[in-house]
Amino acid sequence: MSSHPRSRSSRMLTHLVLIVLAVIVLVPYAWLIVASLKTKEDFFSGMFFPPGDGFLGVAWSSLTLDNYTNLIEKGFGRAAINSVFYASASAIFATFICAATGYALAKSKFRGRTLMTLVVLGSLIVPPTLLIAPSYELLFDLGLLDSVWGLLLPTFAPAFGVFLFRQAVQQSVPDELIEAARIDGCSESGIFMVIVLPLIRPMIGAFLLITFLGMWNNFISPQIVLQTASKQPLSVAIAQLRGVYKTDYGLLMAATVVSVTPVAVLFLVLQKQFISGLTSGAVKG
Amino acid sequence: MKDAFMLPLLSLRHLSIGVWIILGLLILSSVYLLGVDDAKSEDLQMWVFSPEHKQMYEPKIAELNARSGSDADTESRKDIELTLLSIAAIQSRMTSGFFGGLPTADMIEVERSTVGKVFMGPPESIGFRDITDRLKDEGLYDQINGPSLSPWSVNGRVYGLPHDVHPVMLAYRADLTEAAGIDLTQATTWEKFFELLAPLMSDEDGNGRPDHYPLSMWVTQQDNIELLMLQGDGQLFDADGRPTINSDRNAELLAEIVSWCIGDEPLVTDIDEFSAAGHQARVDGEAIAYLCPDWMCSIWKMHVPLIDGKMKLMPLPAFEEGGRRTSVRGGTMLGFPKESDEYEQAWETAVQLYTSPEIARELYQMVDIVSPIRSLWDDPVYDEPDPFFMDQAKGRMFIELAPDIPLRTSSPYNYSAVLNVRDAAVNILDWSTNGGGIDDEALLAKTKEELDKAQRAIERQMSRNAFIEVVAP
Amino acid sequence: MSAPGSRRQVIFAWMALLPFLALFAVFMVYPLIQSASLALNQTYGPDTRILVGSKNFELLMKDPVFWKAIRNTLVYTLGSLFIQLPLAFGLALVLNSRRLRGRSIYRLIFFSPQLMGLVFVSVLGALAFEKRAGLVNRSLAWLLQNEKLLEIDWLQAYIMPTLILISLWLYVGFNMIYFLAALQNVPASLLEAAEIDGAGPFNRLRHVILPAVKPVATFVVLLSMIGSLQLFELPYILLQGNGGPNNDGLTIVMYLYQNGFELGDLGYASAVGWALALMLIALALVQIRMVRKEEASA
Repeated sequence: MSSHPRSRSSRMLTHLVLIVLAVIVLVPYAWLIVASLKTKEDFFSGMFFPPGDGFLGVAWSSLTLDNYTNLIEKGFGRAAINSVFYASASAIFATFICAATGYALAKSKFRGRTLMTLVVLGSLIVPPTLLIAPSYELLFDLGLLDSVWGLLLPTFAPAFGVFLFRQAVQQSVPDELIEAARIDGCSESGIFMVIVLPLIRPMIGAFLLITFLGMWNNFISPQIVLQTASKQPLSVAIAQLRGVYKTDYGLLMAATVVSVTPVAVLFLVLQKQFISGLTSGAVKG
Repeated sequence: MKDAFMLPLLSLRHLSIGVWIILGLLILSSVYLLGVDDAKSEDLQMWVFSPEHKQMYEPKIAELNARSGSDADTESRKDIELTLLSIAAIQSRMTSGFFGGLPTADMIEVERSTVGKVFMGPPESIGFRDITDRLKDEGLYDQINGPSLSPWSVNGRVYGLPHDVHPVMLAYRADLTEAAGIDLTQATTWEKFFELLAPLMSDEDGNGRPDHYPLSMWVTQQDNIELLMLQGDGQLFDADGRPTINSDRNAELLAEIVSWCIGDEPLVTDIDEFSAAGHQARVDGEAIAYLCPDWMCSIWKMHVPLIDGKMKLMPLPAFEEGGRRTSVRGGTMLGFPKESDEYEQAWETAVQLYTSPEIARELYQMVDIVSPIRSLWDDPVYDEPDPFFMDQAKGRMFIELAPDIPLRTSSPYNYSAVLNVRDAAVNILDWSTNGGGIDDEALLAKTKEELDKAQRAIERQMSRNAFIEVVAP
Repeated sequence: MSAPGSRRQVIFAWMALLPFLALFAVFMVYPLIQSASLALNQTYGPDTRILVGSKNFELLMKDPVFWKAIRNTLVYTLGSLFIQLPLAFGLALVLNSRRLRGRSIYRLIFFSPQLMGLVFVSVLGALAFEKRAGLVNRSLAWLLQNEKLLEIDWLQAYIMPTLILISLWLYVGFNMIYFLAALQNVPASLLEAAEIDGAGPFNRLRHVILPAVKPVATFVVLLSMIGSLQLFELPYILLQGNGGPNNDGLTIVMYLYQNGFELGDLGYASAVGWALALMLIALALVQIRMVRKEEASA
């Protein structure tokens, strides 16, 4: 195609369209960062920067890092560590439980497999809101209210994950390989560990990130399950910055920046696997 | 099976960097968290949804906690733990707690918009304690501003301690009215109010819109519609909780309110109450006057500092000469769940917090809210001039109106009803713009028709409740 | 289905399934059964429970607000299926070209809204779509040089389009990733052959690319359909808990939440949830049928 005479201008056009779309996607971040530098007096003045006499008609001097220093004073350290713990525990356990389940449903032959697959996948259509009240009662009966396990255990078995891993195994693990390993005398758990897991490695990376993100941003269920304030994650601490009578939006935005940064970094590090992982999982529906 | 140990180790090599990073995070954070002690607390639990309230209560609670256990008298006392939760979290915990019979807290602050479900079932099943007798025995009942008890009462029994009064005044841009030589305090009725401000509606800047609208209000603002209807004694429910949405008085009031919004030259304008655009419009003087409950003052002070020193307050103009000059909007109560075993200490703590002169003073200084406890009204803090409102003694003005605020229903269907009345108002406006015209009689007829619809919608909703009998009035 | 595997295999399969099944049974199946019992009772406290049988469902069928919520939810779902997915597919087609410079950066940017928490999305959404001062209206007025555009009242008058627009920002990049994945399935040799045969871009798309991505497309359509029909948090936060004027922004799950947690009628709320689940089952069955039929005829 590179020999095509039109290709240069059409490439330019493609980039132009992509850049416009990228700007639309990125504007909110720019706004977020600028907003986090504004004082509460300036928050509602000017779309981006507060208007003033400075360069480009902006009151540069009124931008401040105060919101960030205030945030440090508020002591979100413990909440941040809680968040890291909940998100990583949920990610690791959910990923391995779903990987094992997805593999079994995709490759093992046993009675009732089809029915079980249907039930698990069918549960995707249950709106989670429907289960809030019965789940709370259940956690109470199990003595898991205000316990870390009460928050974590229900997140360890997402049907969505089973769905993705079942796809990934069907797509990237050939039956012949498993048969060959069996003939070589490899144990069933050995096959899973040494042959299957490496083959679905991209999906593992992707699903880890998805569950990590989901737990990191979740702010309703921790408040429902956990009662002790010191156990609350960062998302809850941030949501609580919204006052009832008045909200210090600058502070709220600074907190949002702080909470997004770690996951953004994690995503940057993992993005290659993440994208190839979802890619491998989705193929061959 | 000699490779049983080696296999997992071998497979580790194949794990991606992401797994290692997240595993590392898990180990580090769990090591840290294992080191901290989160022993399950046996403390007395108090749930609040407002960060501002939490901040105000903290010193008093620290003081109470320091006192407990210091002598024989207080040895059996528990420490009090104050927990801040979002309204959604309180809602879902309370729902599960009351309906499933699970423990909640010993004290819960509940906002008016979410209290309804507490009163859904038969009175004997209400999740909060009936505190009427206790209030009377301890002489508190008469100390509380009377009408402030109504949203928390069913059949004359009180189920929560009121946190506030939230009377409403008219806040107006005194800089603009005074420059135009208008004395707005002469506006004793809404009719006079619009008359007095008519001169300011001219279009001097030639942008095709009046330079200033007299009032900020619109059919889409359900809270303000409810506020105005309450001011004119429009009641959506009768004393027994039956819907009276399509009453003649309600139709009359709603028709008048909507008439401000219709026609080619409406008298009111739609300024958002909490948004950037709305704040800018306030600075620009797009509207002269606002319906201002006490809590609104602190929001303006924070977000619209540019109108500092330009506003003044006055009692609302009445619908009819001699009519009510105030209204009410919003509110919070403190409830005591029946499931709690610590009622005695919870009650004492609550009384300490709600009748504390220091906290009441801080409530006013921090968020401009006046206390419902009448004995605290003598506090000189309420007489302090407020520079934001041109040195008016704002607190005193609100307090003078407090006994006059309208009674409110505790019907769980009130919020729904208010939304239906708002929809009625929106539909009437649509009808008027699309050929319905501005004739008063046609407007009233249309209003009746729309309110009938709203009434039927609420009756339908209430008919689902197996615990109550709906009788059409 | 082929013959069952060896005993060893079956034992391993059950061991692999056990943790999931145990958690699934406790935290999914059990609460689901409870919610079914709730739908048949009216409950108020542990001692106050009235068996109302199918009354909740009968009332639901006659409830105009519920039908309104269904209509809104379907509008949103169709909007996201017919706008979001083609856009995501188009982006994936463009970003699939190896010759395109910076494609990994574009991919990253388009996916990034997924990193944001909903607290931020809701605060920002409300500010961006405000009339007069909002980012969207100001940009429109500036681009088209028309002051009147400042007055578009997105959040009151056009709530459904607003929700669809915000969900575009949130989800196009996510679905794009799935389509990118699907495009790996397109055999390069077939594309080249088509090009040599003189097939234009449109024909290549129709006869080579589309058949190859179809399985994934089916999967993405199903997932977005489920997600869209369960739409809740976004409108709930944007509209401050109510459905907007005349309930124009009310979705099915919002109606469930309102009834259950604001009004405290858990029974009716459960009935709403079950009605939605039944609807989804019907849709899923229809889709599976359609796919089977096509496979059979292919």
